[in-house]
Amino acid sequence: MTNQLVRIGFLGIAHMHSVSYAHNLLAMPGVEVVGVWDRTDASAAEWSGRLGVARFASADELLAAGLDAVVVCSENVYHRPLVEQAAGRVKAILCEKPIATTVADAQAMIDRCAATNTRLQIAFPVRFAPSVVELKRQLDAGLLGEIYTVNCTNHGSMPGGWFIDPDLAGGGAVLDHTVHVIDVLRWFWGAEVTEVYAEVGDSLLHPGLGIDDAGLLSFTLSNGVYGTLDTSWSRPPSYTIWGDVKLEILGEHGVVYADTLHQYVTVASNAAGKTQWAGYGSDMDRGLMADFVEMVRTGRAPSITGEDGLRAMQVALAAYQSAKTGQPVKLSNL
Amino acid sequence: MQRVGVIGTGAIAAVHLDGWRRMPGIELIGYYDVRADAAERAAQRYGGQAFATLADLFAAVDVVDICTPGVAHKENVLAAAAAGKAIICEKPLARHLADAIEMVETCERAGAPLFPAQVVRFFPMYARVKERIDAGAIGKPAVYRSARNGSFPRPGRDFSAPHYADFNLSGGVVLDVAVHDIDFARWCCGEVERVFARGLTFAGKEFKDHALIILRFASGAVGHIEVSWAHPRTTFRTRIEVAGDGGLVEWDSIDRPPLVYELYDDEHGFRRIGSSPTANEDEPYYAELAHFIDVLEGRAEARVTARDGLEAVRVALAAIESMRTGKVIAMNEFGG
Repeated sequence: MTNQLVRIGFLGIAHMHSVSYAHNLLAMPGVEVVGVWDRTDASAAEWSGRLGVARFASADELLAAGLDAVVVCSENVYHRPLVEQAAGRVKAILCEKPIATTVADAQAMIDRCAATNTRLQIAFPVRFAPSVVELKRQLDAGLLGEIYTVNCTNHGSMPGGWFIDPDLAGGGAVLDHTVHVIDVLRWFWGAEVTEVYAEVGDSLLHPGLGIDDAGLLSFTLSNGVYGTLDTSWSRPPSYTIWGDVKLEILGEHGVVYADTLHQYVTVASNAAGKTQWAGYGSDMDRGLMADFVEMVRTGRAPSITGEDGLRAMQVALAAYQSAKTGQPVKLSNL
Repeated sequence: MQRVGVIGTGAIAAVHLDGWRRMPGIELIGYYDVRADAAERAAQRYGGQAFATLADLFAAVDVVDICTPGVAHKENVLAAAAAGKAIICEKPLARHLADAIEMVETCERAGAPLFPAQVVRFFPMYARVKERIDAGAIGKPAVYRSARNGSFPRPGRDFSAPHYADFNLSGGVVLDVAVHDIDFARWCCGEVERVFARGLTFAGKEFKDHALIILRFASGAVGHIEVSWAHPRTTFRTRIEVAGDGGLVEWDSIDRPPLVYELYDDEHGFRRIGSSPTANEDEPYYAELAHFIDVLEGRAEARVTARDGLEAVRVALAAIESMRTGKVIAMNEFGG
């Protein structure tokens, strides 16, 4: 059972996480990365050459190659058509976050996978960061007692490319960076976000960008915890690191300051022209891939479902709605 | 599948055994310890059996993991080599240079793989420092500095403190601890040309030891290593920095960990707890032992060789000689 070969294809590699996912799968015993297809030929060719993975001329041809599973890392708006195309032809699909850009698209993906008995998992790697795993264990053990509030950031660098094209990404910093933290909080507490208020900045940090690059969300969870989240692409090219995932959780017994990825050596390089932090923490993408491969092999349910992806995305969409109306948005109103 | 036997079942063996027992492809066969009751306790805790003699253990295993005190490494390595086993040997490779040379040469002649457990090369932050240097991020290494400072090992325990306090047995903090940093410094900067050191090793202070070591490398680089068994109880701090002609890479264990808990209750008062968790397979001792198995089975090139283990001991003994004599020790003239 544990050695059963798992054959995986990549449908869309526009998201840079596809490279890390592929590296991890290629290093895993009993896994074959069968091929790659992307709507942009040049991207597919470059990716194929870099990773030594065969390139297919169409998604259909790749799906005909006898795959157990696919990884969908296309531009956000193409998640739906690719997942729909793959559903029923593979046992399982790993879809990059956010699941989609509209509730209708996300629901259609979930429904199609359910109807074809295809297991759909959403890629939320932060759940596999060792610090986040430990933090969940401590919270479950009651270390902080009753939880009052959580002050979060998921800062990033402005990614450019299709990420700043509203027609392909569906949203900027708020959509890109709301979903990771919201997913983790939902996972910690089994609670849903019930209300969101947001101040969103369009082209605020990058004049002329044409999409939101700053976002401050205030939210309330169904367990009574209130919190905030900064989703801004506010780490400039001159900064030490691409971004962060920080959670400061206050409860009746104390506080935890979680800077979840803060395992860095500091590197000042004249060639790079700046000082950078180089991470030495365990690769959370490796944990995500191992979990997905095990799911494909054993036939168990996904650890992170399409529903999880939908719920996290809805919070980002509610933030945009709040920014538009200037009022808090109840999630049940979406 | 490799059948593993462990010789010596003290503190470092417990760390190895935590790794062995969760490693795929490993069968943990059993233990030999000069204290038979200690081998029995290991068998009860980790599974496998306690062997009455080394020969019995050798007959049942493929890989021998030697976790005894350094002074006992030689006899166990020579016996394992004669039995044709693959050998993992804890650091320092030996207490005396002649012993280390005999061990390495005997294993080479016998064709017995000898893996020295220089674990710092497998600590993820140190491995990252080396990777950045190899990537050219800092240019050519020029000034190396590292520190490994804690308190005297386990004072009050019936075995440990008298063992570590007996220089003839342990070699003091330089042989036991600086051997880590010397090995890592060689990995980053190449061969050591000369050594000068000052410390407390011969100062006659009970349960205190410390050294400040200056190295000159053949490349022209210079190095500084501090090691301590004189810092306050419960503290342990490590630092590494390497400056090159194109940049600098640094890490300090005092940097904030990813998790900092600040708690208060009436029983304990205020507590600040830091935690820097890692995935199981990245835990340094696990990664080190798994790497040795990968090398043994032809899946990896050795990250550290028996000759590296030998040279780390030679430089450490030269530092001790410098402390003892007050002189600069030239490595090409130093034979223990």
